Amino acid sequence: MTDIILLTVRTLKYYLRNPAETIPGIAISVFFLLVYNAGLSGVSNLPGFHGSYLAFILPVAIISAAINGAGLAGQSLVRDIQTGYYTKLLLSPARRLAIIWGAMIAGATVLLVEVFLILGLALLMGLKSQTGLAGYGMIILLTFIWGMAFSGFSVFVALKTKSANTTQASTFVFFPLIFLSSTFVPKEYITSHWLKIAATYNPTTYAFDAMRSLLIDGWQAKPLVLGFGILLAFATVTGVLSLIQAQRSTRLG
Amino acid sequence: MTNIDRSITVTKITRTFGDYTALNGVSLRVESGSIFGFLGPNGAGKSTLIKILATILASTGGSATVGGLDVATKSTEVRQRIGVALQDVGLDPVMRARELLVLQGRLYRLSTKEAKLRSEELLKTVGLADVDAKRKVGDFSGGMKRRLDLALALVHKPDILFLDEPTTGLDPVSRVQIWEEVRRLNRELGMTIFLTTQYLEEADRLADHVAIINDGMIVAEGTPTELKASIGQEVVTFAFSTPDMAAKALVLLQPLVTKVKTSGHEVLCYLNQAAQNLPQLLRVLDAAKLTITNVTIAQPTLDDVFLQATGARLNIDPTKEARSTKKS
Ligand SMILES: Nc1ncnc2c1ncn2[C@@H]1O[C@H](COP(=O)(O)OP(=O)(O)OP(=O)(O)O)[C@@H](O)[C@H]1O
Ligand SMILES: [Mg+2]
Repeated sequence: MTDIILLTVRTLKYYLRNPAETIPGIAISVFFLLVYNAGLSGVSNLPGFHGSYLAFILPVAIISAAINGAGLAGQSLVRDIQTGYYTKLLLSPARRLAIIWGAMIAGATVLLVEVFLILGLALLMGLKSQTGLAGYGMIILLTFIWGMAFSGFSVFVALKTKSANTTQASTFVFFPLIFLSSTFVPKEYITSHWLKIAATYNPTTYAFDAMRSLLIDGWQAKPLVLGFGILLAFATVTGVLSLIQAQRSTRLG
Repeated sequence: MTNIDRSITVTKITRTFGDYTALNGVSLRVESGSIFGFLGPNGAGKSTLIKILATILASTGGSATVGGLDVATKSTEVRQRIGVALQDVGLDPVMRARELLVLQGRLYRLSTKEAKLRSEELLKTVGLADVDAKRKVGDFSGGMKRRLDLALALVHKPDILFLDEPTTGLDPVSRVQIWEEVRRLNRELGMTIFLTTQYLEEADRLADHVAIINDGMIVAEGTPTELKASIGQEVVTFAFSTPDMAAKALVLLQPLVTKVKTSGHEVLCYLNQAAQNLPQLLRVLDAAKLTITNVTIAQPTLDDVFLQATGARLNIDPTKEARSTKKS
């Protein structure tokens, strides 16, 4: 436990000293929020669409920040592998889990800060939520789990390839995850058959649905259970994969 | 202190990478509290063995214990008891020396206060105490990085210290400082020290016991004195002004020594008790009116041991760093 805190704090210090690395995440989210809200908000006047488009697009901004924040975890690990510091950590009695989680939690913390900023901005823009403060808490929790899931993925790629470029490139799954989903219009409105299928199997859809239900519809069991369930499963899978990869490194050399 | 097991045993360790065999059935024993020199040319398998003993690389055959603990099954316990400075230093370039040391101390279960005290102590030991505290480690010189890396390995006062080529790339002054520090750690704290080197002189000067590895196999083992004694003989080298004279000298000296050979205008004689026998050799050469320009008597070196064991000279030219290895 101490190890996890020590290593998380170390990585966070790095972000504090190099704030530039965290800026793209914020920039993309703010872009979604401002540009799409301004450009597409007419959609919410369509018959059958309820709630504000701001509340609808906010989860997209949050999730895109989350993917970026989570990608940081893999990148910080690649940096350590390349400087040899990762090996130094492997030589120490610190648990492998702590070494990986240090990077993941630091990435997730950065994204939480980003989410607070985005939520703040959305509130300034007039966001109204059906579930109030507790709802925002739920959204933040969902984002954190999503962030850990995606961190696990980027850490897995980092350990597998040991390449900064590949790890950086792996954040491009951002595009299918975000765009093959109910990103800009509700799922019922997706007319293309294949996009509908993709959206159904994309875990992002359930993150969106859960967050939107909180903002727009109030407390509802189904989207929340689905959202938390699927995201937790997703996080477990990527977490286990990355831990196995870390443990295999001794075998492979 | 004396009853702690600080020994290392290696039993038929093998490591393959694909179909390449880096270690081929290596066995050795390092006694508690001794300095062990692991000598070998580039690509011999020195670092591979250190990584296995330090629990970050699995062997593909055989077994090893460090401090009485099996490296494969008791890896966490082994890690707590050893200090390791690998060949490639592992430092986070954006951190400061003190931050790295304190974090390292904490990871080895020291309290924050202990870790801070220890950091200051170690910075003094390795001569980095006066470096600007704000300086990032990435801006350190190669020698400073190496010394900081050594300090990191010592944070928790390990029972057993592994040093992979600790002086490669250091200037002669820093090299002697490292030697002194290694001796002090061994003498004052009773630390067992396992060090690899490509330098014969280093193994000769520091180690109580030496093993020579070539191509993944141990080719010679013993104390430096024993190994040199196994070659048995001293070498007297006569230099003449011409190769012609050297050739004549060869014929004259042949019956008087165990072995003799020419090398340009020099003649090398192998014999026991060179000092006592030298006057007789000189008289013979003088009688034949062969003018000697220089005479040296040399003790056999570990290089000669290596030569005898493998039929090749060790790569001892420090400027010819890292001759390309067989693979990777
Ligand atoms: N991860 C790896 N994958 C493939 N081959 C490897 C790996 N690690 C080491 N080797 C090979 O194993 C052999 C022994 O390497 P090792 O690093 O142990 O040599 P060394 O004695 O430390 O050499 P040097 O003096 O150059 O440091 C070399 O031929 C090397 O190329
Ligand atoms: Mg080596």
